[in-house]
Amino acid sequence: MKKFVMAAAGLAGISALAGCAQVQEPAPICSMAGISAQRQLVALPAATPFDPSPLLEMPLNSVSITDFNVINKLFVRTVSAQRTPTGTVKVISQIINCTDYPLNIEGRTQFYDQAQAPSEPVSAWKRLNLAARTSNTYSESSIGTKNVQYYMVEVRETR
Amino acid sequence: MRRLMIVASAGLLLSACQTVQNSAGAPTTYQDPATLGAVKGVGIESQDIVSMTDQMMRDMLTEPRLANAATAPNVIIDAEYFVNESSSRINRNSITDRLRVSLQRASQGRLNFVGRHYANMVQSERNLKRQGVVDKGTTGTAAAQRGGDYRLGGRITSLDARDPRTGMMSRYTQIIFEMADLESGDIVWSGIYEFSKAGADDVIYR
Repeated sequence: MKKFVMAAAGLAGISALAGCAQVQEPAPICSMAGISAQRQLVALPAATPFDPSPLLEMPLNSVSITDFNVINKLFVRTVSAQRTPTGTVKVISQIINCTDYPLNIEGRTQFYDQAQAPSEPVSAWKRLNLAARTSNTYSESSIGTKNVQYYMVEVRETR
Repeated sequence: MRRLMIVASAGLLLSACQTVQNSAGAPTTYQDPATLGAVKGVGIESQDIVSMTDQMMRDMLTEPRLANAATAPNVIIDAEYFVNESSSRINRNSITDRLRVSLQRASQGRLNFVGRHYANMVQSERNLKRQGVVDKGTTGTAAAQRGGDYRLGGRITSLDARDPRTGMMSRYTQIIFEMADLESGDIVWSGIYEFSKAGADDVIYR
């Protein structure tokens, strides 16, 4: 009987400990495998037939994190583009700070035409403040209208 | 005579020690004006001017009343109504000039720019033409200088704070841009650029 009581007490203790272990992580929680999967580099289109470009880069219409300081700290949740009422293109991207610390980052966008050539000067760096484990939205508008077909967003830590 | 010879010899020896310091000084280097430079404080700096004018220019081109009108509106962009009430020392023209130039180059006819800051220059030439002092040129005459449909206004304000124990200073700067209809007074477009900086470096802006 005494053994039974002790076993029951032990079980109760383990249960209590297990309850304490359920610490809720502050959202969002970033999967590092998912972050790596976001960085699938592609070769540029061949400049001449059968002569593939030696340069690998992020595919167009994506966000490229170009800074080692933040490459494993940010998660690009979404990136999309839409036409504004004047025909320019507005790129919108939601970026998540996966760390427990505030981050200051900045982004800029290069817009491209149908031939994947730059259609206008690259935009100026735009700052974005991200509190710990929060997201913020980067957006940029093009100068051109119909000639804009693609875009590329670059993100780095604010300097 | 002997004493004079000794003094002269000593002088010659000393002058021989005075060699040229034949080395390069600290070189002046070009910096990217769109990025934080080597000298940085809490005021408005080149990267802020580049960033804010680029943002405002791109945003103005998304406003249909400005960039998608049936007839390109006449806009005036200068520093006449762009006031600085902040504690930052800055030439307001460096902001409005860059905005006007970048917007004109980007708009490609979607907006028509009136150089009101050149009004005196234009009037002087018009007077000379009409007095017959000079000929009429090749582009023809106009009944009057062009009136503006919209004009840029704005304000720079700031909020300073200093920790007397550490000497750390912070400054919040807010810059607003507004485009006003010159007939109705309606504000047809507005934009805001703001930042807060903190630092302990003793930087002087001129």
